[in-house]
Amino acid sequence: MTSAITTTWPRLTSRQEFDFLTDLVMEHSAGDHTFLSLRDVHGGTTRFANNQIIQNVHQRRGTLAITVAFGRRHGTATTSDFTAGAVRDTLTQAEAIARVSPEDPEYLPPVETQSYLLLPTFRPETSAAGPARRLDYAREAIGQCKMENLNAAGTVASSVAVAALAADTGLSAYEERTEGRFSLTVQAGEATGWSAAAHRSIDHLHVQERTLAAINKAKRGADDPQELPPGRYTVILEPAAVAGLLSWMIWMLDAKSFYKGTSPFSGKLGMRILDRRLSLLNQPDHADLLGHGFTSEGLPVIGSNWIEAGVLTQLLHDRYTAQDHHIDPLTTLESPCLSGERPLGTRVDDLVRTTQRGILVTNFWYIRPVNPSDLTLTGMTRDGTFLIENGEIVSAVRNFRFHESPLRVFNHVDAYTTPAEAVTSETGKALVPALRLHDFNFSSVTHF
Amino acid sequence: MSGPLWDEMAELALNRARAAGVEYADIRLLDTTTHTINGEDRRIASIRDTSDRGFGIRVLHRGAWGFAASSILSFEEVPRVADLAVEIAKGSASLAIDKVHLAPEPVHRDRIVTACRLDPFAVPLEEQTSLLLNTMDLIQRHAGVVRSHASLWAQRDHKLFVSTEGSHLEFSLLAMQGDCSATAVHDGRFASRSFNTPHLRIGYELIREADFTREGARIAAQAVEKVRAPAVEAGRYDLVLDPEHLSLTMHESCGHPSELDRALGYEANYAGTSFLTPDKRGVYRYGSSHVNLVADNTEPDTLAATGYDDDGVSCQQWDIVREGIFVGYCTNREVAPRINEERSRGSNRADSWGSVPMVRIANIGLEPGPSTVDELLADVKRGIYIEGHGSYSIDQQRYNFQFGGDAFWLVENGRRTRMLRDVIYHGITPEFWGRCDGVADRTHRRRYGFITCGKGQPGQAGWMTHAASHARFRRVDVITGQVKG
Repeated sequence: MTSAITTTWPRLTSRQEFDFLTDLVMEHSAGDHTFLSLRDVHGGTTRFANNQIIQNVHQRRGTLAITVAFGRRHGTATTSDFTAGAVRDTLTQAEAIARVSPEDPEYLPPVETQSYLLLPTFRPETSAAGPARRLDYAREAIGQCKMENLNAAGTVASSVAVAALAADTGLSAYEERTEGRFSLTVQAGEATGWSAAAHRSIDHLHVQERTLAAINKAKRGADDPQELPPGRYTVILEPAAVAGLLSWMIWMLDAKSFYKGTSPFSGKLGMRILDRRLSLLNQPDHADLLGHGFTSEGLPVIGSNWIEAGVLTQLLHDRYTAQDHHIDPLTTLESPCLSGERPLGTRVDDLVRTTQRGILVTNFWYIRPVNPSDLTLTGMTRDGTFLIENGEIVSAVRNFRFHESPLRVFNHVDAYTTPAEAVTSETGKALVPALRLHDFNFSSVTHF
Repeated sequence: MSGPLWDEMAELALNRARAAGVEYADIRLLDTTTHTINGEDRRIASIRDTSDRGFGIRVLHRGAWGFAASSILSFEEVPRVADLAVEIAKGSASLAIDKVHLAPEPVHRDRIVTACRLDPFAVPLEEQTSLLLNTMDLIQRHAGVVRSHASLWAQRDHKLFVSTEGSHLEFSLLAMQGDCSATAVHDGRFASRSFNTPHLRIGYELIREADFTREGARIAAQAVEKVRAPAVEAGRYDLVLDPEHLSLTMHESCGHPSELDRALGYEANYAGTSFLTPDKRGVYRYGSSHVNLVADNTEPDTLAATGYDDDGVSCQQWDIVREGIFVGYCTNREVAPRINEERSRGSNRADSWGSVPMVRIANIGLEPGPSTVDELLADVKRGIYIEGHGSYSIDQQRYNFQFGGDAFWLVENGRRTRMLRDVIYHGITPEFWGRCDGVADRTHRRRYGFITCGKGQPGQAGWMTHAASHARFRRVDVITGQVKG
């Protein structure tokens, strides 16, 4: 059933409007260099808990940032007001900052004209989706849970955005991006099951299928969970859990820290850091990832290899650090795909069936670094943690805290699946396999 | 834009909502200006002034919420957004089970202004950048230090809140903070040490009165000492925690579980629920009799002391834990009636005009005890003294936590002896607070603010201040922050 809400939002800032703002700024700028960055986002989230809507919001937010440089002195001012007077005031403020700011030895002028991949970042069905479509999906998830006498909490979100850049160097970039998101936690007493999706197309969220997956997890965990002692276990990490650990590896790939000796990867470029069967790529053109054509500075986003056969081959180089080391800058790894040679199967069940004893982890929660020198992380298991014996899930177990480094345990790989979509609350979206790892360190256990 | 134009827009929005037949509506118009300077490795990496204006309209229709917001402040946009908020609320009502009934609140008409001696937006930029450059230079002149960071941050909010009940509240709020850090390397590892002024609602006097030269030199020396220090040996230790460290421990293990919306399941899909369920209120032993945790949104200069919250409820003081027993929640007008409370505690906040307000942690602080810090340490045979924030993680019901810190000293026979590194302690919240056997007196009390407390979908950043004196905890499990093998 489609609800009656038909209200639409004003259209996004068009290419012509952005060009008008650019001309206005360039005409009046006194700077040696001037750079504009515009974001215009229209979107909303329908949030539910206890099988009813608890929050239902929609927002239109535009932001224009202007950076002006005099030599190596630079300053930035931003505004949410796109009227000509406000834009000129913002330019004046950026100039005022730049005039008195100290010289920045690492300042580089804006990049020049670039060529970008033309990616299908805009999907009309998502752009057209508004509160009504979100409500329909929420109704679908709640309805399925109510039929099972379970409790649903989750969100449906959709947005359409413009990202645009321009500079006096000739740089010009404009891209429309859509995104749909769905996440659901199903509660069965203290047990929870969870599932999530994100896609450029709201038609690809597979709400019914993901709701069933979360329901099945919750029902499976509803029996009294066993409390197992902390220790080292064979684990099967589902893709969301793998993505949680992988994200921290990616966030720590900063080249400047590497060269200063303050990175867990210092001394490891060109060395094997993971199991030799695993490789990590950036795939901005992958249809199921959320890649886009250019970075916030206007550099093209390109497909690239980061880890090949377990060997670290690339770091995140900002433009200055890249120039300092005479290499091309690579500043983003936003569409990661981790994959392995000769996967055991395509589904988590393929790993479960071949596991004699181990712990199945649906997801991790509140992952934080403990020791950045060796990338030791901590976090909790969440939304479905189970004991496997002789190839079958035999019971739910109470949630564990882990104390582990992906740089250590991603070398303890027994088996893995083909890559699958992974979306978590604290990370973006990645394609990663489910992994079976031995000797994974759980340091304590909680009360549920 | 503000003043009469904002009042006209507010009236337009609320009349539009009233005409649509809503039970309640409010509008918040905000003009937020943020000033940020970031320094890194002896250079000013960025200076950014941000102006963020917009409005958000919240309506309650047939017991269900709708909210819409826009950064276009115009007389054409306001009614369109009001209509949309009503339409969204109608959709919400189609899936409502427990209708929202707001706890009553008197009508307020008031103006709140942050007192400040020195407006940070009027301080010459050159003075601010010089301070940061000099601090970073001083830090990096220290042998063994390879990286430095220093930053200043200030924010001013002009806000107008108007509701269909007749409340009309104007705000001119200010907040300020500064910090610096040093990172040292030794033997293939690295460690950082930081100095942070609290986030407070005062002016640039906060920065002038903080001695960045002295603090920069101190943290540089301690970063080197820390990276060269021996790793802690796992075991049970008595811990003496400083106020800055405790601010995070309280925030995670007391603040979040005392949010009533979490306890009622609203955050089940993201931030989580709470082990402090309503049936435990008034009877559950949360900690030892030394533990008195008080929410105080009236204390001057603190982040949540804004006069009124985003429900238009006046700020209050109340107990969360009294002599170890859990007694109170942070609430808003929506959830307070669900536990039969007659009035909201006034803890409903949004992080911008574009966000809908929700229950946020109040200024929760640990009440001082009778001891001096020396007296707390004197009774420790084998323990660890911890300062500042480090690693932190806690489960989604807020039972199982694990914390690090910024600096650690071994305590032997009542005296701090030498630094340690890689100290991590973990426990279960009520068991941990049950091990508290002493709190230092009011002379040791310090306040620390948070401006990045994450909660909600879409995520919002909450602001609050946590104050404490030093406290001692007996026989806590400590592990080393690295994994062998």
